[in-house]
Amino acid sequence: MNIYEIKYALQNLGKRKLRSGLTILSILIGITAIFALLSFGIGMQNYVDTLADEAGRDKLFIQAKGIGAPGTDENFFLSKEDIDFVKKIKGVNEIVGMYFKAAEIRFSEQKRFYFVMGVDIDALEFVEETFSIEIIKGRQLKKGDIDKAVLGYNYQLEDNLFKKPIRLGDKIEINGNKFEVVGFYEEIGNPQDDTNIYISSQAFEQLFPDSKDKFGFVMMSAQKGVLPSELAEKIEERLRKFKDQEEGKENFFVQTFEDALATFTTIINVINGVLVLIAFISVIVAFVNIMNTMYTSIIERTKEIGVMKAIGARNSDILIIFVVEAGLIGLVGGILGVALGYVVAGLGGSFAAASGFALLKPSYPISLVLGCLLFSFLVGSAAGFFPARRASRLKPVDALRYE
Amino acid sequence: MKKSLIKLEKVWKVYRMGHVEVNALQGLNLDIREAEFVAIMGPSGSGKSTAVNLIGCLDVPTRGRVFLEEHDISKLEESELAQIRGRKIGFIFQQFNLVPTLTAIENVMLPMIFQGTPEEERIKKGKELIKLVELQDRMEHKPSELSGGQQQRVAIARALANDPEVILADEPTGNLDSKTGANVLDFLDELHKKEKKTIILVTHDQALAKVAERTEFLKDGKIVKTTSNRH
Repeated sequence: MNIYEIKYALQNLGKRKLRSGLTILSILIGITAIFALLSFGIGMQNYVDTLADEAGRDKLFIQAKGIGAPGTDENFFLSKEDIDFVKKIKGVNEIVGMYFKAAEIRFSEQKRFYFVMGVDIDALEFVEETFSIEIIKGRQLKKGDIDKAVLGYNYQLEDNLFKKPIRLGDKIEINGNKFEVVGFYEEIGNPQDDTNIYISSQAFEQLFPDSKDKFGFVMMSAQKGVLPSELAEKIEERLRKFKDQEEGKENFFVQTFEDALATFTTIINVINGVLVLIAFISVIVAFVNIMNTMYTSIIERTKEIGVMKAIGARNSDILIIFVVEAGLIGLVGGILGVALGYVVAGLGGSFAAASGFALLKPSYPISLVLGCLLFSFLVGSAAGFFPARRASRLKPVDALRYE
Repeated sequence: MKKSLIKLEKVWKVYRMGHVEVNALQGLNLDIREAEFVAIMGPSGSGKSTAVNLIGCLDVPTRGRVFLEEHDISKLEESELAQIRGRKIGFIFQQFNLVPTLTAIENVMLPMIFQGTPEEERIKKGKELIKLVELQDRMEHKPSELSGGQQQRVAIARALANDPEVILADEPTGNLDSKTGANVLDFLDELHKKEKKTIILVTHDQALAKVAERTEFLKDGKIVKTTSNRH
């Protein structure tokens, strides 16, 4: 291949602007969609990786089996005895039971239901590390905070959870009991986590006396040198026997933080994969479209092909010229598609952030950009191959006579 | 006697049209020698175009043999023929047949691309040829921006790009007015005289054919008459 053939191909594209434009548009759409979707997928993966690094890969959870966010199953709980039992298992480092319940929240005449989390103040740092959250305003909860609460990020926003934004020092009512807001946590990036209310476990026990020592879920860390996944298996087996449950019928399950993330990532990847597949269909349509354009173009340029052959073009020269031309249609579509995909993903990211899903942040590694460009060039070239081969096999005598 | 450049030996070309076989050439013999200026004449249906295709290595015969510089080329593959005609034969067509998307100079350089000539050399040679046909100020124009005569001059420059032994001009003045046509013909004559190029001129115009040293008359796929034109 040489630069001249590329130039020649480009000039041909330029000469048939409308048709080239429409063909380019068809591949542009697919590449835009693929680029935007993959940038979200990669952004998500990055987020999950950071999360795993921040929270630490030594963390494990015990939670209710079944669908739903941890702690939302009202019938499931782990007792103080369960926790004490698990605590003694070799390899368990820190362990803390978390209270978790939906409650009625009142603020400035408005009433809403959100989740309240009761945190053992002794284990506060461990909890914050596991959730990888930090206070951004005010202070943490501390020992003896009976009527104090720390709120999730979204409470500070106007017209989000409540009409009026909540500020430090404001009073809110949880199930009719007044709490003073002393702090806010940073944004986690999903609406559920960002609407949690954190109070001390003492306060929680006063608020829900029936729930004392009934923990919605348990968080723990593995000791250094202990494999979290092996520990999880051990705990599951021992706790099952302790609670006298049959294998496979236990109402809890032990999951390492990494597994939890992996499950989450798998779900995201599957959804993303399905969307990318749909986008692929439009690339197939573009493939057919490019092929069609090239066949038309070759019929129009039959005589030109004859002339080129007469002045010494071999079949392979003609083949290259038309494959490159089709590849360029793909590449131009790819360049525009990547640019548009960048814009679309950016807009999508802002939109997601505005709706509370700040964790849906697209990421654009250079490999994605180059990959999309290469892919679009290859799609174009492949689509151009059969038309180009037909062109290359034209007999010069016949092609020259063509009018 | 000068050495033979293109020689057709008992050449037959048979086309199938449906169930009918058409014998376009019926045992044609023709010998064109180095630095000759030969005109080929014949009415339509005489097999003239078919003969030109074979002389130009654009096609191979059904039977008989075609020699280019004493090499038998009648059994060569299309891609081998392409290389040979690119190097040895410069085509000039009635319709000019320039590539519409390329500028004048790019058209002139095109045959060199297919021979793998380095870019620097292509540009140098291209400019020389453009100068030879006196189109320096039109070099960057597309064919559509050139007059018929100018286009044919670009085509002549293109035909000379790989410095071929033979210029095969198929009705080169057919689409030009008589004055421009005469210029083109003069140019070919000059190439023959000064550059010692072998010129093959295909025409149906008796007056034009007179410029050539020799005229071959074709009828029913055979040479029926050969005249020598004394200058």
